[in-house]
Amino acid sequence: MQKKIVEFTNLLRKSGVRVSVAEAIDAFRALDELSLDDREIFRDAMRSAMVKRSDDIATYDQLFDLFWSGFYDNLRGAFEGMNDELAAQGIDLDQLMRMLQEQLESLEPGSLDLSDLARALLTADLSQLEKLIREAGEQAGIARIENLLQIGFFSRRMMERMNAEGAAQELRDLAARLRAQGLSDDQAEAIRGLADRLLEALRRSVRNFAERELQKQNYDYMERFRRETLTEKSFYHLTEDEIRQMREVVARLAQRIKNVLSIRRRRMQKGKLDLHTTLRRNMARGGVPFEVTFKHRKKDRPKLVILCDVSSSVANVSRFMLQFVYSLQEAFTRIRSFVFVSELGEVTQVFRDHDINDAIEKALDGGDVINVYTRSNFGQAFHGFWQNHLSAVDKRTTVLVLGDARNNYNDPRAWCLREVKNKAKNLVWLNPESPGAWGFGDSVMDRYLPACDVAEECRNLRQLAKVVDRLVL
Amino acid sequence: MFDSIETVQRNLGEQGYICGKNIATVVYLAHRLEKPVLVEGPAGVGKTELAKVVAEATGRPLIRLQCYEGLDEAKALYEWEYSKQLLYTQILKEKFSEAMAGAKTLREAAERIGAEDSIFFSDRFIVPRPLLRAITSPSPALLLVDEVDKSDPEFEAFLLEVLSDFQVTVPEVGTFSAKVRPLVFLTSNDAREMTDALKRRCLHLYIDFPTEEEELRILDVKVPGVDRRLAEDLVGVMQRLRKLDLKKTPSISETIDWARALLALNAAQIDEALVRETLNVILKYEGDIRKAHSELGRLIVRKAEAPPKPAAPAPSAATPASGEATPGAQPVGPAAPAPPKKGTLH
Ligand SMILES: Nc1ncnc2c1ncn2[C@@H]1O[C@H](COP(=O)(O)OP(=O)(O)OP(=O)(O)O)[C@@H](O)[C@H]1O
Ligand SMILES: [Mg+2]
Repeated sequence: MQKKIVEFTNLLRKSGVRVSVAEAIDAFRALDELSLDDREIFRDAMRSAMVKRSDDIATYDQLFDLFWSGFYDNLRGAFEGMNDELAAQGIDLDQLMRMLQEQLESLEPGSLDLSDLARALLTADLSQLEKLIREAGEQAGIARIENLLQIGFFSRRMMERMNAEGAAQELRDLAARLRAQGLSDDQAEAIRGLADRLLEALRRSVRNFAERELQKQNYDYMERFRRETLTEKSFYHLTEDEIRQMREVVARLAQRIKNVLSIRRRRMQKGKLDLHTTLRRNMARGGVPFEVTFKHRKKDRPKLVILCDVSSSVANVSRFMLQFVYSLQEAFTRIRSFVFVSELGEVTQVFRDHDINDAIEKALDGGDVINVYTRSNFGQAFHGFWQNHLSAVDKRTTVLVLGDARNNYNDPRAWCLREVKNKAKNLVWLNPESPGAWGFGDSVMDRYLPACDVAEECRNLRQLAKVVDRLVL
Repeated sequence: MFDSIETVQRNLGEQGYICGKNIATVVYLAHRLEKPVLVEGPAGVGKTELAKVVAEATGRPLIRLQCYEGLDEAKALYEWEYSKQLLYTQILKEKFSEAMAGAKTLREAAERIGAEDSIFFSDRFIVPRPLLRAITSPSPALLLVDEVDKSDPEFEAFLLEVLSDFQVTVPEVGTFSAKVRPLVFLTSNDAREMTDALKRRCLHLYIDFPTEEEELRILDVKVPGVDRRLAEDLVGVMQRLRKLDLKKTPSISETIDWARALLALNAAQIDEALVRETLNVILKYEGDIRKAHSELGRLIVRKAEAPPKPAAPAPSAATPASGEATPGAQPVGPAAPAPPKKGTLH
């Protein structure tokens, strides 16, 4: 994010908006005070810190839309490497341009009269290209785009409005004229080739623009739709695609919780005024309290021990729960995680060695420590924990158990869990089945209930988020 | 109090100030970051009012420094109270005589008086002006530096110093520094561009003319008696007037004045005759009034009469439905193939 803002600041500067370092820092500070999920607020906050001339506001707003819509990045991607590619063929684009200019203007004054588009293409002036594409989009009425099938139509129309073919022709003519002026065949050919490639890059960018515009038009609707359905969707029966999408949603939810947490932490840190230190520090100023010192209150962050059923019936719940918890690592003093089907193994280290998503997939595979192809046996798992890892639990520890308590008619050994509960601050059980099913069939949830401080149904993202929320806030 | 952008917006609303998120965001940040705000925008859009309502909403005393050409340090910061000094000299005359008794030369007498200088140049004789008052205010203040663009560049440089450390030194007396930094709002009409140095120190807020919906709400608050339909028509005229190229574009204050005038006239609805007669309430220049007259027909579009718009632009409608060609809208060429209908193919 920081990097992106710096890049944006540079873009502003390049476009003639004066932004000092101090102002860029102010922008960071401002963003620190806000949650960033409201785009308008994000835009206005940054603007108030960096744009001080009313005349620049329009430029800023435009650049903001360009830049933060991601289209600029894409444009850069499409045109980047053009230079390198040419360089590889022994052509220095800058030099070529200069040469073109000199030659043509010395012979026929003013004849290098390129259109804006051709010039922007030749000089890889991305800001200008962006502006032209945007204008063409407006002229083509792109805001009316409504579905995927219209992308081709609008892209073509935009290309027409820009007269892209004309610009390409200008470049080809240029090559021909230069050839006549004594440019070598190879070089002229290179310029012709360049024209084609530029046109192709432009076409791709225009298409991308149309796609984004479609996304923008449908954004609200899609977003809401996706959230509603995904957060309510049961963790059983998820397609691969939905798992991927859901992972994003979890990441976003976690980020939101993190924002709230950091705001809260900052508030907490302020604590009470520390009178003694404040006076001492400000002696030199005749006791006028310039620098005020606060007593730092220690926030008492919970320790977390997770016992995760990774048998296939609940793998998805475990997946997202783990993602949540590890996205919020900072909120805990320490996290130790264990997975089980029947035997239990620790995977804490896996999460240290790998990034979250890899670690989760590894943990779901048993983390190289347990066999996942057996039948669930909660009793054995709890017994294993009691025997080997009880020292992981103390009175500041929250133990989080995740599983459906379908024990395949094995001995539940509920007493192990009770012992764990007695040592812990509290024990929370998340069960993807609804309470109505608890204790029926091979479910031994009813036997474990007395050992739980909290037992909750956790069948979809909404419920999971609620639990996590309560855990950290 | 101002703990989120929404509360800022709400609190200002409670003071009768209608604002969008953009204004609330900057006010919120100014509060959080303790940075001055430079508020710019056309005349009458509520720049001064904003500072006033923020003061009210935060319970800060409002200290206003009105800028004008020729405003100097003395008038902004402090002045010696000569009359009081004189009065004291009168009262203390005898004491002076005592002190000077036995002085042989004029010079010796002067030196003895000089030694007593400090009596006369102490804070007893200082008249604090807005800047000093803002700095020494016992409770956190709101300093409004109004129309700062009217001040001279020299004054701006001085202001810059004050704003950077909120500390001023009175040579004979000592240094005053703010215990709590005042919240500072500077307003400008862009009569003169402020220096970059000043701007760097401030957050920037540009207040534009209100949207139609905001303006309606402002009328609601400021002129509660006015009929809803009338208000809508009136605001419509104002919004369209602002699109004309006028010498002085009418602002919120004019909208309010006009609404009050129409209320006083007991007007029931807006028609050409009424607008023509009352146009001088909203437009100050003869040329502007003439221009508006010639556009009257286009200015007045009453809600009820407005041509019914198609409920939603149908996806297949590649050409505008009616002949109501709005300027600026790009009619789609007849040759263009209609974009495929949503959902016809899958
Ligand atoms: N957002 C608003 N909500 C309610 N009333 C408003 C709002 N904006 C302006 N007004 C009203 O409009 C009038 C003009 O506002 P104000 O004097 O603050 O304008 P200004 O921008 O300071 O103008 P100038 O540049 O001429 O000093 C005031 O009477 C104020 O009550
Ligand atoms: Mg004003």
